[in-house]
Amino acid sequence: MLDMILSQAVNGLVLGFLYVLIAIGLSIIFGMLGIVNFAHGAFFAIGAYLAFSLNRQFGWGAALLAPILTGLIGVVVELVLIRWLYGKEPLIGLILTFALALFVEAILRLVFGGAPVPFAAPKFLAGFAEYGPILITKYRMFVLVVTVFVLIAFWAFLAYTPYGRIIRAGSRDPEMVGLLGINLPVVFSGVFGIGCLLAGLGGMLAAPLWTVTPSMAAGAIMPAFVIVTIGGLGSYAGAIIAGLLVGLTTAMTIQFQPEWAGAAMYILMAIILLVRPRGLFGEKWERFE
Amino acid sequence: MTRKRTPSKDYHVDRRCLLLGSAGFATVGLGASSLGMPYIGNAAAAEPIKIGMIWAKTGSIVDQAEYLAQGGLLALEQRNNMLLGRPAEIVWLDEPNPQGAQQSAERLVGEHKVIGIVGGALSSFALAISSVAKKAKIPYIAANAATGDLTGKSCNKYTFRLQPPVDVHARILAPYCASIGKKWYLLTASYAFGQDIKKAFSEYILANGGTVVGADEVPVGTPDYSSFILKIRAAKPDVVIGGIAASDLTTFLKQWNELGMKGKIPFAEISVGNTDLWGVGPEAADGLYTITWWFKNPNNPPEEQAMAATYEKKYNRPAADKAWMGWLGMKSLLDAIEMAKATEPAAIVQALEAWKYRRGDIDVGYRAFDHQMTNRILVAGIHPKITDKWDYFDVKEQLPQTPDDIAKAFGSQADSACKMDAL
Repeated sequence: MLDMILSQAVNGLVLGFLYVLIAIGLSIIFGMLGIVNFAHGAFFAIGAYLAFSLNRQFGWGAALLAPILTGLIGVVVELVLIRWLYGKEPLIGLILTFALALFVEAILRLVFGGAPVPFAAPKFLAGFAEYGPILITKYRMFVLVVTVFVLIAFWAFLAYTPYGRIIRAGSRDPEMVGLLGINLPVVFSGVFGIGCLLAGLGGMLAAPLWTVTPSMAAGAIMPAFVIVTIGGLGSYAGAIIAGLLVGLTTAMTIQFQPEWAGAAMYILMAIILLVRPRGLFGEKWERFE
Repeated sequence: MTRKRTPSKDYHVDRRCLLLGSAGFATVGLGASSLGMPYIGNAAAAEPIKIGMIWAKTGSIVDQAEYLAQGGLLALEQRNNMLLGRPAEIVWLDEPNPQGAQQSAERLVGEHKVIGIVGGALSSFALAISSVAKKAKIPYIAANAATGDLTGKSCNKYTFRLQPPVDVHARILAPYCASIGKKWYLLTASYAFGQDIKKAFSEYILANGGTVVGADEVPVGTPDYSSFILKIRAAKPDVVIGGIAASDLTTFLKQWNELGMKGKIPFAEISVGNTDLWGVGPEAADGLYTITWWFKNPNNPPEEQAMAATYEKKYNRPAADKAWMGWLGMKSLLDAIEMAKATEPAAIVQALEAWKYRRGDIDVGYRAFDHQMTNRILVAGIHPKITDKWDYFDVKEQLPQTPDDIAKAFGSQADSACKMDAL
């Protein structure tokens, strides 16, 4: 039994990294822009479908462009729709991004049909490694490495570059940053684009594991919201810890009480919110109070 | 020179105008009341007959539902959208969940005044629609749902079911699985379809000297099966019996392959659809299945071959089994309306009970005592090497072989839990 618990724990943590990758873009967009992006799952699906299309036409190398293209689509969406929501009633943002999610799903259905499309990992990432009772597939290890790299890179970007400082300052006090002569709308477009790029990256990396259908957003958006809520809205470190917690909880529930597997992460969220209503790392932000 | 116009002059209505206008209205009114009446009557006659269709537009079963809907639309198009000499149209509503399916059925009956309904992609949806059909006394064809209850203990006079129930599929597939080995692991969805599979296969293997080494119920829409697969791997069963539908099955098979289980432990499941496997891809496709129809089956009657050809021409892809199910379900309802020569529910129900459709050497139809369609089932594996992206199934047999065996497989009235009510 101990072997099985160890095996499930490692598997849960690896799954957690995939969840972190899906959730982190949502966390960034809320933390920096104050927008609760219900369309995050839609950008996840766009990333998967772009990767599928590019892979079919040009091979896996081209599929790597999918997250960048998703990010560019995100920038356009920010310029056309999201920009008008800053400082407005949060409910308007919820409704608009929810409508956007439905619209994107309908477009994907129109272009690709409702049936799932096949998408496999590149051959060099096929196979798995066994370390005693622990089994890890090469592909999931690859996802883990990419996620860790992205998390470190984005943290370094925010912490050590002038652009990162502008984003952090702008997220706290946009008026002051604007008075310093910085073109904040351009920065915000970039932030929204980065959030969508990360969603697209999550979609591309999840595509070989999940079923690629227009409705695949539903499978991503709920864990993403749960993770962001558990971690504390807008908290970077919180999203990482929460993602790993959700992965671990799900795996352990499957081992011991499989019929509760679907509800496990919601129960975890309820318990954490009862103890800490702002989530694990949630802070009081004057801008959102 | 310009003339200055004043409102008092230009818009003045004198007594003569008023009288003339009144006379004109009176004439039109009289004309309408005499000459117009037949026109209104003609409009009623030409008013389209509405058929309700409830297939998912969102959710985990949407990939199958698209084909089911296209099959249904095709069945009406083949009649030039005419029924009983009148135009006919299909009203297609969504079924996001069982409650949503029930609300859609109520809307179709109350708001759209449909005379029959086809739909219910998942068993839980079909049971919800069936309860509305019973209450509203409206004929309903469940073309895809496989739970036994639909034509078993929850049967009613207005519900007809096309898909063979789970226990019939199980009787066909279970002996194949038992021939591989007698230690089974069951991975089934936590709703009616999965629970029926769990019951049917557990009973079979226990009655035949085997064991169930593990049984997990999985929530619908599970995105990651790796933890379930690790449990299966540790239990070392001879066969894994699946009971997960549509895109959930697709996800499972992709991850089953990813974790190196493909080819190591045989996987079997009843009543799968082409689309479930098309989405898996050739690298990961694996398993032993029962399917209800296959577009490449040389035994398909000419009418079905024509349907498949029309479908492929229209949608630029082969007709999946679900397209056939949607088509045949709708066809049976439309045929019954024509047979009844009426739109009254009772007449349509009686016509559906009498409806027969020739498939090779058997007459397919709905049994009067439980409204279950009896038909053959195909047992199929997966081609070792897939060269055509639409052709995954390696069909092994078409069972049961004789009409008597078919009747036996579907069970007699004495075996049925259905207590059919009256019209």
